[in-house]
Amino acid sequence: MAAKRPQPGRKGAPASPRRTQPMRKPVSGTPAWVVPTAVVGALAVIIAAFLVYRYYTTPLPPKPLAPDTTLTVISTLAGVPAARSDTVGQGSADNRIKPVSGATLTGSSGKPEVFYLGAEYCPYCAAQRWPLILAMSRFGTFSGLHTTSSSSTDVFPNTPTFTFHGATYTSQYLDFRAVETEDRAGNALETPTSQDQALVRQYDSSGSIPFVDFGNRYAFAGAMYSPDLLAGMSWQAVADAAAQSGSPQEAAIVGSANLMTAAVCRMTADQPSTVCASPAIQALEKKLG
Amino acid sequence: MRLIALAASVAGIAVSIYLTAVHFAGVPLACPTGAAVNCEAVLSSPYGVIAATSVPTSVAGIVWFAISTILWLWPRGRLPLLWSTVGMVTVIYLVFIEIVRLGTVCVWCSVAHFLVLVIFIVALTRSVPQADAGGTA
Repeated sequence: MAAKRPQPGRKGAPASPRRTQPMRKPVSGTPAWVVPTAVVGALAVIIAAFLVYRYYTTPLPPKPLAPDTTLTVISTLAGVPAARSDTVGQGSADNRIKPVSGATLTGSSGKPEVFYLGAEYCPYCAAQRWPLILAMSRFGTFSGLHTTSSSSTDVFPNTPTFTFHGATYTSQYLDFRAVETEDRAGNALETPTSQDQALVRQYDSSGSIPFVDFGNRYAFAGAMYSPDLLAGMSWQAVADAAAQSGSPQEAAIVGSANLMTAAVCRMTADQPSTVCASPAIQALEKKLG
Repeated sequence: MRLIALAASVAGIAVSIYLTAVHFAGVPLACPTGAAVNCEAVLSSPYGVIAATSVPTSVAGIVWFAISTILWLWPRGRLPLLWSTVGMVTVIYLVFIEIVRLGTVCVWCSVAHFLVLVIFIVALTRSVPQADAGGTA
């Protein structure tokens, strides 16, 4: 009879074999799919929260102004005194105007033509129309301008502006022609002619809008300041700010208008002298080259 | 897993170099344009450059992915996880800018963000103890 091995455990307790090795390795970690799933899930929640926040914080488009009120806004904008304009000079405007060479662009009346291509949804066009209207008002008169705002769903939503769709311009010095290709909802509005398209292809290889051609002497694409500067403002507030000395809107809008005025003065052989002979415009004309 | 992070880091360098080159060359970006997707709107916004400089944000991307490549070539402790966490927090901030501030998304930026996400997941997965194959949780 073999002797029994001494058993550990309580005295008198039934003997049980000692486990020197675990039967099964204990589960010590997380399944491989948990981490990626958790990270992607958390990220999806964060993005959803951003979208909801964006939805609830995007302001509704402001209601366009009545024609009389629109005229008041344009008068305020165009009423920036020449002395202030001289003080501002280029202001904070980004000079995007480049000299170009081509057959002189003339309008239906045979005068040199400024050609604008843009769209109502486009926030950069919305920003650039303010100084463009101010600059062109120094040489002539707009009628039929209406207020609108850029797309609610694009970058810099609801930027207050005007539309050139349906507007006319008269001047003894030059012609102005504008094509607004789409409305603020992205619906087709006006179609550029094949000559317009050729012009854009020639001088605006990136196809950016707004595109402005000054009689084929100068051209530029894009906005000279950020539409962010007009965010949340009413049309009258923008016009008032542009007329207020020292405001960032004055520096951007009047500065951009001065640059475009200098380009137009080059087209019109510095006519009228009341506009083109100003020291600021003369200095900017030299800068344009 | 490490190879995935390494490949994502190198791909991130390539994407960031492309965006930087396009910025300085002033040529159009290969990117669809619409209301929801608009690379040009994002990259030409004030957030397209590092604050108070004219340096495009993509340069920061080149630096981040380059350091990430080095960290995955010679991984040391929790450094890859720390670095990828920094990247992931930055990505969340940039996505916030795109969605909330700008209301539009840049496809190329999203590709770079996805690569950071991949790297972060790899780093996090490596740092969490894994269950054995066939084990139950």
